[in-house]
Amino acid sequence: MEPIKIVVSGPVGAGKSTFIRTLSETEIVDTDARSSEAIGKALTTVAMDYGTLRLDGQLLYLFGTPGQERFDFMWDVLTQGALGMVLLVRGDKPEGFPQARRQLDYLLSQQPVPYVVGVTRQDRPPVWGPEEVALYMGQPPERVVGLNATDPGSAVTPLLRLLELMLGADAPS
Amino acid sequence: MTKQDQLQQILRELKQALPELRSVVVASTDGLPIVHDSADAPRVAAMAATALGLGKRISQTTELGALEETIVRGNQGYFVVYAAGEKGVLALAAPSGANLGLIHLEAREFATRLAQVL
Repeated sequence: MEPIKIVVSGPVGAGKSTFIRTLSETEIVDTDARSSEAIGKALTTVAMDYGTLRLDGQLLYLFGTPGQERFDFMWDVLTQGALGMVLLVRGDKPEGFPQARRQLDYLLSQQPVPYVVGVTRQDRPPVWGPEEVALYMGQPPERVVGLNATDPGSAVTPLLRLLELMLGADAPS
Repeated sequence: MTKQDQLQQILRELKQALPELRSVVVASTDGLPIVHDSADAPRVAAMAATALGLGKRISQTTELGALEETIVRGNQGYFVVYAAGEKGVLALAAPSGANLGLIHLEAREFATRLAQVL
């Protein structure tokens, strides 16, 4: 089976770098720089994150984007050739949802691929659950999953769902 | 003199030292413009931070040692990005006939001065 390239995007602080760090079975490539804005963390991704893992025998290449909209040129660069997308949103920060929705619309307009929305920080209530975020973002419930990006068992759920959706679409009827 | 004034002053001196430069942008390493003479500064600042961040990582991964600069060369000119200490990025655009050696020489010195102010 050919490796599958998956883009991991979403607003700043959603947990994209953490997600890739948690899941990658190979040494990751990250591009952190010191943040000069108050974004709730000291470092921020300025170019990309990269990691790989094998899931159900399928090799996945994960490409993480920066979160800030000023880096939208990297969204274009990194979505080239992607076959699937995971858009992460931080479940305890609903003020980030509008950007997440804009970003999802934009990315899908550039690269219409199967996608899953992952709602992070499910381990830290009070937090929006996937059903609530699906309603808010106008997404079908099967496209939105909850996760904790620091836990490998939980972080893998959006990828499993994505593979289901991708293989489901390809399967001969 | 405020920090911003000092940075503006360094920018002016850099442009006097290298009059052939098309534009100069000083940005934070996370891609926000600080001082510049470019109409397109917000976008250039973000791209400069990306080029520097990725350049550092490439340099590290391919065992090139510490990054000196990232150069983009088009058929009509150069875009060169230098680190200005831990917090800053200095990005220059120059036409294709420019003396790159001289640019490096001056830019590295100015990057050090910028780093001291930043």
